[in-house]
Amino acid sequence: MNDVGPNRSDSPSLARQYWSALVERKKLLGTVFLWSFFLWISTPFVIIMLKSVGRNWFGKKWLPPNLTLDWYKWAVTVANIPKVLGNTLIIAAIAVALSTLIALPTGWALGRRKVPAKELFTSIILLPRMIPPIAYALGVAQIFYRLHLVDKHLGVGIAHVAVCAPYAILVLSSTFQALDDRVLEAAAVCGAGKLRTFFHVILPMVLPGILSSIIFTFTTSYNELTLTLMTYGPHTITLPVRTYLAVGEGYWEVTSAMSMILVIPSFFVLYLIQREIAPEKLVGGFKGV
Amino acid sequence: MSNAMIELRNTTKRYGKLLANDHLNLGFLRGELTTLLGPSGCGKTTALRTITGQVIPDEGQVFIDGVDVTQVPTHKRELGMVFQNFALFPHMTVFQNVEFPLMIRNQPAAERREGVMDTLRLIRMEEYAGHYPRQLSGGQQQRVGLARALVYSPKVLLLDEPLSNLDAKLREEMRFEIKDLVRRLGITAVYVTHDQAEALAMSDRVAVMHAGRIEQVGTPDEIYECPRSRFVADFIGLSNFLQGQVVEVNGPQATIDLEGHRLKVPATSDALPGQDWLVFVRPNDIELLPPEGEPMENELDGTVVKFTYLGDRIDYRVTLAPSLELRVQTDGKVRFAAGTRVRARLPLARCRPVAD
Repeated sequence: MNDVGPNRSDSPSLARQYWSALVERKKLLGTVFLWSFFLWISTPFVIIMLKSVGRNWFGKKWLPPNLTLDWYKWAVTVANIPKVLGNTLIIAAIAVALSTLIALPTGWALGRRKVPAKELFTSIILLPRMIPPIAYALGVAQIFYRLHLVDKHLGVGIAHVAVCAPYAILVLSSTFQALDDRVLEAAAVCGAGKLRTFFHVILPMVLPGILSSIIFTFTTSYNELTLTLMTYGPHTITLPVRTYLAVGEGYWEVTSAMSMILVIPSFFVLYLIQREIAPEKLVGGFKGV
Repeated sequence: MSNAMIELRNTTKRYGKLLANDHLNLGFLRGELTTLLGPSGCGKTTALRTITGQVIPDEGQVFIDGVDVTQVPTHKRELGMVFQNFALFPHMTVFQNVEFPLMIRNQPAAERREGVMDTLRLIRMEEYAGHYPRQLSGGQQQRVGLARALVYSPKVLLLDEPLSNLDAKLREEMRFEIKDLVRRLGITAVYVTHDQAEALAMSDRVAVMHAGRIEQVGTPDEIYECPRSRFVADFIGLSNFLQGQVVEVNGPQATIDLEGHRLKVPATSDALPGQDWLVFVRPNDIELLPPEGEPMENELDGTVVKFTYLGDRIDYRVTLAPSLELRVQTDGKVRFAAGTRVRARLPLARCRPVAD
């Protein structure tokens, strides 16, 4: 209050005026920041969306002169989007399943057991995310050519596990770590054996964590480009790769339509996050008390 | 049938080199609230976990209701337990939390509902049946914890420092509530705490533990008035310990020498002149008198070094000899300034020799 304005020796009401002006300005500043951020994130989407439904629009006017759905038709037929989307989902499902299978016991060990050199293990698990993806992908490709895993759904899925599993392990180990021993003891004292403690207490408490781990791994695999580029083939083209190739082919309108198709599942996942693992549910699942 | 609902017989537990429980022998009587009292690390939690079955003793046996349960897993021991951090199931409502033990016992739904609501009424929480634990205050959560422990009428109620996460005022209220509940239900209760005031206020019997062993078992009155060891006297209430040598034994009285002062104390049966004794006396049992006046028995001359005003009483430090200081608490009706000479009267019956 004291160092608000230069005239602090004047009446306190003047100081108060300065102060409220500052608060107002802060609010204004906040609003401006928020909207800038929103625009910054949304503008590319808006442009791509307009591009995907516009005809003869070369960016000289604010809005496209003619609207059309032709580019979507092209995308579906020429670029064979249903097949590509199918590939993407199959690969993502493989990556999610493998990552979760690996992460459940690993996360349990890291979160609940005394593991010697725990930090070292964590760093090793994070390594695939630390080194440049392209370098890592090159190595993976060399091995996969030998093992005939290139251009196989399983192969691309396995490659994705390298970048998906770290997320899953991190999320699950902190989920399991937050399980309160006392609550498990309470279940035992109440008469619940191991099996019932698992189904009635442990499972409901860790479910939000497992769900968010699945969502993280799914989106990571769904959006993965670099590792796919080095391991895909004609039978395993994924959405990000197809979109990337379309850019090279020079059809901006079709590429935009593909991007929009690529975005839709992300919105669905966002909706899932909002609904299924609402913040208070996460707190209930992660905190013991 | 033995009078003890729970009995620890020679139970011993080692953690590496640490002897957490050293041949404990203790019976918890039916319908009584027995407290395990001691500082942290004294082994009281290990003793409690031996009863619950989370610790299997290296030696000895545990009996509950006359049955040897040493190897019986926790979930088959039919216990009720209240935890320090409440340990409610966060994903269940108050109703579901309290219902859990009944659900595990496969009771029919209608019966469960009745049992849960009866128990919630007992702790005045029936309006909160639909709330989640995180929506409740600490005191309310602990009451739910109590309800969950009592709902299936277990043989034994175990309370592991249930009040230490609550604020001071609530703690006092909950003391009475728990004590009253245990009385009314006639349940055998084991209470673990490091808070001596809590132990004295709540217990039928107190077992004071120290370094893995039980130092003394008795009613709160016995423990406070007749501590058998220096540790017990020191841990419970305030104490002065006076080190002196026996100079004369005269029937039930012994005279000891305290750096030149003579003090008469009740004699033990094996008292002999020349022995070194430790005599303990509570600060509020000592009377301070002005230096002039009728001489009386067991008066020691000294000087007030400092005093602290505590509101309802005054805490004095009085030196009797260069290395002999006495702590005295009076009601403050007569006051002495620092530096004044005083006579400290230690009533003979209140001076008790203890083992060092």
